[in-house]
Amino acid sequence: MAHAVISCLHANLAAFEAVLEDIDQQGIDSITCLGDLVGYGPQPNEVVELIRQRGIPTCQGCWDEDIIDGLNSCECSYPSQLAERRGHQAHHWTASRLTEENKAFLATLPLTLRKDKLLFVHGSPNSQHEYLLPDMNAFAALERVETAGAETLFCGHTHQPYVRELSGGSIRVSVQQKGNQPNTEQEMALPVRRIVNAGSVGEPRHGNTKATYVIHNDSTGEVSIREVDYDVAKTCKAIVDVGLPEVFAWRLSHGFEYAERADDASHVCER
Amino acid sequence: MQQTWLIAGPPGCGKTNWILDTLLKHEGDCAYLRLDGPSHEGLDQGHNAGIDGAWLMDQVPRLQDLSLSASIAALPSRDCFVLVEVQQFRPPAKSNADWIDPQVQEQLNRLQLKPDRILHFGLDSDLPKHDTLNFTQLEAWHLTLHGCVWDPNSLSSFWFELVNGAYGDVYRAKALMNLPDGRSFFCNWMVSQESSQFLPLEFVEPLTSRPNRISHLVVQGKALDHAGIQSTINDCLLGDDVLEMQQAQLRQQQQDLQPTS
Repeated sequence: MAHAVISCLHANLAAFEAVLEDIDQQGIDSITCLGDLVGYGPQPNEVVELIRQRGIPTCQGCWDEDIIDGLNSCECSYPSQLAERRGHQAHHWTASRLTEENKAFLATLPLTLRKDKLLFVHGSPNSQHEYLLPDMNAFAALERVETAGAETLFCGHTHQPYVRELSGGSIRVSVQQKGNQPNTEQEMALPVRRIVNAGSVGEPRHGNTKATYVIHNDSTGEVSIREVDYDVAKTCKAIVDVGLPEVFAWRLSHGFEYAERADDASHVCER
Repeated sequence: MQQTWLIAGPPGCGKTNWILDTLLKHEGDCAYLRLDGPSHEGLDQGHNAGIDGAWLMDQVPRLQDLSLSASIAALPSRDCFVLVEVQQFRPPAKSNADWIDPQVQEQLNRLQLKPDRILHFGLDSDLPKHDTLNFTQLEAWHLTLHGCVWDPNSLSSFWFELVNGAYGDVYRAKALMNLPDGRSFFCNWMVSQESSQFLPLEFVEPLTSRPNRISHLVVQGKALDHAGIQSTINDCLLGDDVLEMQQAQLRQQQQDLQPTS
């Protein structure tokens, strides 16, 4: 059975509606969302309410957490002062616009969702704030999947969709013995694991402005990355209309993130 | 024997780069003077805020700034090579290549300078072909940034946004920007070029306070969003506390690298 995985909606209603339409057209009725429903974009309430209306199982993203727990739940992830200032501006705007009911909903979201050997998280099993970038050290990436007890890990947060198969790994352990006994060595082959990044519905950063999500086939294990056109100009107009910085609209219309990405793949929030 | 060359051309045609190359090839004493050019040609479009002069003085330390002199009597030697840069939007007719605008001539007379050679970008074959943008139809905006220090990653983002159209159609941008490690960068972009120049100045400021040298941004283009540019710049500049914290770390690193006796 095919199911869709979406992530990082970022209060972009036009993009979310276009992706839902694409999913519906393919007859898929099982959807999992990896969080970041809000942040930067102009329609936080509308997006949260559509998630609730469709009953889409959702885990909590870093922006969802920040809106509930307050700013600076992880201030160390901004790559520049400019990105931090813009992030804070977007945070304050979102926090002031989001209804209490929708905030309460965000507070109920779990950090992970699991379906057999499939694990769904926003950033990594360690934190909503950790970036699993496609070129992350293979051993570290495998560790994230293996210690979480998953065969396939679905994540978002980076806004770059990718499928990464981790295979051919092994661990060799040398144990020093007492006295003159020779060291004993053990080698174990590591199982094949996968990381699937769903990209971003509302704030793409993969080279163009199209919304991205993935479709996973439970039976065959096949994963396909979908790119969906949406009315970018409509969202850009909404950004300006609600009083968010006009540069957000410019960046979105050119396929850039509202602020900037963090480059440190091993970053883990230590608050 | 003293040689005086006058180089005239529109903004963005490559005068500064050509002058720097020429000065670096010259081994003796040299001097530089930048004249505003004819006032009727729209000085605002060519406003430079001393960026070119500061860049050239940094790259050629022996270069004398003639704008600070009352006459050539102050030149270090009789065989000094003098380069005079003039902002001029339109070259004269070919038949009149030695023509000098009366306002420019007046400025030269005051300094007792008589050009031995006059070169016009767009007319003289010895010079690279200049771009054909009509700068007089562009609006100009400039901002003094004296004492300002940029967060490096923020500067990178701002410049990217600026030259890619986030704040209007920018045709030309030039700046000297300070970084917290004491360096200053000459940032230069022209719409006809594929990428920006980011060239570090040789002189590095001490890590003890805010820098005290020329720092300025000039932008030429159409439908420029002045408020948007200013707002983003404000978000990029370091406050006193952050600057002191970063400089303290850098001072400590420098101290750690000192050889112990």
